[in-house]
Amino acid sequence: MTGQAFFVLTALADGPRHGYAIVGDVAELSQGRVKLKIGSLYGVLGRLAGAGLIEPDREEAHDGRLRRYYRLTRDGRKALAEEAELRAATASVVRARLGRRGPQVAG
Amino acid sequence: MTGEPGLEQRYRRVLCLLPGYYREQWEEDMVAAFLDSWLTGYPDTDEYVLEFCKPGWQEVASVILLAGRLYLGGAGAPRRYFAWGQAVRYTVLALLMVHAVRGLDGLRLVFLARGLHPVGIVPAPPAAMAPVPGIAWPVGAWYLAGYAWIVVFAALVLGHYRAARGLAAMAAALDLAWLAQGQLTGALLSPYGSWAFWMLHDLVPVLAMAAFHRDAPPVARWPWLLALPATYLLVAVPELAATATGHQAWVPDLPGQSCILVAVLCVAHTPRALSGRAGTGVWSLTLVLLAAAAAAYRIASFGDYLQGHYLQDPHLINVGLAELLILVAAVALVAPSAARAQTAMPAAPLHPQPG
Repeated sequence: MTGQAFFVLTALADGPRHGYAIVGDVAELSQGRVKLKIGSLYGVLGRLAGAGLIEPDREEAHDGRLRRYYRLTRDGRKALAEEAELRAATASVVRARLGRRGPQVAG
Repeated sequence: MTGEPGLEQRYRRVLCLLPGYYREQWEEDMVAAFLDSWLTGYPDTDEYVLEFCKPGWQEVASVILLAGRLYLGGAGAPRRYFAWGQAVRYTVLALLMVHAVRGLDGLRLVFLARGLHPVGIVPAPPAAMAPVPGIAWPVGAWYLAGYAWIVVFAALVLGHYRAARGLAAMAAALDLAWLAQGQLTGALLSPYGSWAFWMLHDLVPVLAMAAFHRDAPPVARWPWLLALPATYLLVAVPELAATATGHQAWVPDLPGQSCILVAVLCVAHTPRALSGRAGTGVWSLTLVLLAAAAAAYRIASFGDYLQGHYLQDPHLINVGLAELLILVAAVALVAPSAARAQTAMPAAPLHPQPG
């Protein structure tokens, strides 16, 4: 799973969101490191929807336009949980190794 | 109001780059999200934004990249786009294989030059490879690029797409450096053909490697890996045989070899194409794309026949035209099957990778 997909799924973990809300949430979750452009966002959403990990939730009118909300499917929730476990396990290994040798900063 | 298209219309124009089926499903949502990213909630500011602002280049680039991935479809794409995606992927592999064959031939020359060949014949290096006095690096760059293309081909077949892209860009840059020095020093014997070759076999594959994205089905490894030595033998053995028997004049030049090789492949593929079996249409489409590349290379090389070193042989153009005719006749055999490929392909398997 790519970093973008992971952040998009995470953005939807606590409830449905529309496109731009996902962009904002991903930027916040990644502390500004992942700034999705709309083309990239919908590329990811299309793939996730194709893989059955997300689905449309509802549409709401806003300023004369319809905002479509997306939510996680059961498979999506499971995939996100597995990915989070994997990343957490990796992070703990990294922390343990760094702890053994201590952070070494060049210069 | 100025009568000029506003922000929304400008963005919709950009979205026109996307395939129709995709726009039908996602366009309104994309427009809503895009406008959300611009609007502030202050009426005066929003009015100005909607009237005068334009989508940024990064936004446009993200749509272009998305369009490229959708047109060169992978698993789950509509059959038409999947067929194009597969045909482009096969074409890239075939074009890279030409480079890899060149790399293998470079290895052969090096072995020959060092007396490691069992036959012990040491031919002169290709005339175009003659080093310019005082400048030795271009020949080294040419050989190095040849070896790099072997690795690029193998990396792509084995699924290391990112590594293949990076190395291909470096190899294309080496080829470009070799070409540029040849052009500047006047050492390039066939500039039209050489530049056409670089564009068709370096630039086009490097760009078209975008077709090897996350949704692309994996390449059938063994058939492609075995195709490399087979193609090398198919090209090198007749050439060596002709040279050994003193019939080197019968060997077509590289554009001619490209035309004849693609024509032979078209004829060989025709029975399968006529059978209408599943999957044959993609190969037909691949052969049409390869034929277009070979024809463009052949036509560009006529520029070299009309001036410079080849002026003394007027028959070359006639031979080149004959090769083109053979190619056109052969590709006509598979063209109907290629046209059908876009509608008659079986649906692509639905196994897209998340993200």
